[in-house]
Amino acid sequence: MNRRFWNLVPMASLATGSALFALLGSTPPTELVPERAFCVPSRAHWLGCGDAGVDVLAVASHAELRGLALAGIVALIGWTIGTPLGALCAYRGGWPDRVLSRTCDLLQAFPTFLLAITTLAAVQRPSRVHVGIVFAFLAWIPFARLALTEARVLRTMLYVDAARALGASTPAIILRHFIPALSRTTAVQLGSSAAALVVSEAALAFVGFGPRDGVSLGSLIEQGVFSMLRAPHVLVLSATLLFVTNASLLIAGRALGAGRSEGFPGTF
Amino acid sequence: MKQLVLRLVEAVAIVVLLATAVFLALRIVPGDAALLVLGDHASPEALAELRAKLHLNEPMVMQYGRFLHGMAFGDFGESLRKPGVTASARVFDALGPTASLAFTSVFLGALLGTLSAVLGAGPWLGRARGWIERALVAVASFPLLALAPLLTWVLAIRLRTCALPGDPDAGAPGTLFAASLLAIPLAAHVGRIGLASLSHLGRAQFLLTARAKGASTPRTWILHALPNALGPIVTVVATQLGALLGGALVLERLFERPGLGSLILEAYASRDIPVLQAAIVASGGLFVIAQMGATAVHAWVDPRARSAA
Repeated sequence: MNRRFWNLVPMASLATGSALFALLGSTPPTELVPERAFCVPSRAHWLGCGDAGVDVLAVASHAELRGLALAGIVALIGWTIGTPLGALCAYRGGWPDRVLSRTCDLLQAFPTFLLAITTLAAVQRPSRVHVGIVFAFLAWIPFARLALTEARVLRTMLYVDAARALGASTPAIILRHFIPALSRTTAVQLGSSAAALVVSEAALAFVGFGPRDGVSLGSLIEQGVFSMLRAPHVLVLSATLLFVTNASLLIAGRALGAGRSEGFPGTF
Repeated sequence: MKQLVLRLVEAVAIVVLLATAVFLALRIVPGDAALLVLGDHASPEALAELRAKLHLNEPMVMQYGRFLHGMAFGDFGESLRKPGVTASARVFDALGPTASLAFTSVFLGALLGTLSAVLGAGPWLGRARGWIERALVAVASFPLLALAPLLTWVLAIRLRTCALPGDPDAGAPGTLFAASLLAIPLAAHVGRIGLASLSHLGRAQFLLTARAKGASTPRTWILHALPNALGPIVTVVATQLGALLGGALVLERLFERPGLGSLILEAYASRDIPVLQAAIVASGGLFVIAQMGATAVHAWVDPRARSAA
């Protein structure tokens, strides 16, 4: 229990820290003051300024918060769709099991990043919501896969037979007997999916498919890359923040559950 | 034979699915594709002309048929931004740099990963072996997007040992540097899986037999144990290819290198629909070919995989 608690600490402190700075900071993340572009850290701007004079602390805290929210929501959507779907197909067995398994194989081999860019190309101004929708299309796959393999074992359990003999309907068996038993394994996946989503969102923003206001970790890394000679602190800070976020989400997922995880398709 | 046909069907299915996605994305979504290309201030005549050129005024089914027919012959139409140049020609020019980047990094990643797996499982390092596993886990959880710019900053600016991002004179060392960055996460994944399967094999009786017959330690590990662990390693490489493609895009942007990724971003920014379609289909094709290559390598080194694949 104690160890579990400590494993949740990095994630929790990251979230509260960025929320605190985002709420209490007086500078909005989109405020541009060209005169103070790439200024050094000072009392007014604790982490200095970036391109066109944005306050790095404000951008980083807002971007972190929004990135975490996006990743959390999309990972939860994936969990909500994938886990019952995998459990149901495994419980039915036969062709639903085979079809889902093959579909997952095919989609897992899919170059996710390309698909995201393809879909975003259709929108004139991609926003974080669009990115979320595209990721939600694929977020259920690892959950369905994991639930499928685990539920194949659960299907043969005596308590499932007993529930069926007592007249429980299929939805009731899935909801009351499969999902709770699957929650520990899928919780780990929740962590690694969220971690992968944070990174993917940042990567899309880095190559130019991010939100237009530039409030994303990827945009901050991009600013850092193009100013690495003048203002290396922007790059070091944003890259470290991305690494810490990724690691703490992975650790938090492990604390919530136990077992292995599949990784999000096409993560890097 | 049946397996091969199935693989081919699956490969074609992935490319067609991706092509259909890009086709639909540019047409079904609310909004006029011609308006997206020409902007809000275009004259009605110019819009009508572009619609006719892109066949946007035909029924959707006919457009799709024309698109698939063109795709089969590698004909995606003319680039909108560079008149007179076909989309396929522009993609073909960009294919070379990306392919060399991707294949160099697969090679480096597989080599480094296998090497660290053998070192981590074999007896040479003694108690220090545990650190190899820990290092692999740490590197595998370091996102490329954070690792690559940081390493570039340290190596190019702090230590001045390699070319800066965007340096047009970087040439072959530049490619090698970019490929090594791309290879790091791949090597970590390969190393972890290889290490796990080699440690599992370490207690196998055929290794004991090999030792009893007088084989040296390197011979036992490299000639007897390693070929048995190649299956999982090749599988990891195949599943990481999608990630590699995304990573290549990020690195092309980081180093401002020409390639498929840069072409996709440029075509997206300038709404060059034929080039965008061709480039996405080509990257899908590159991905599928690499994946089939991985399967073929697996079947070649491991006879058991030929029937089970």
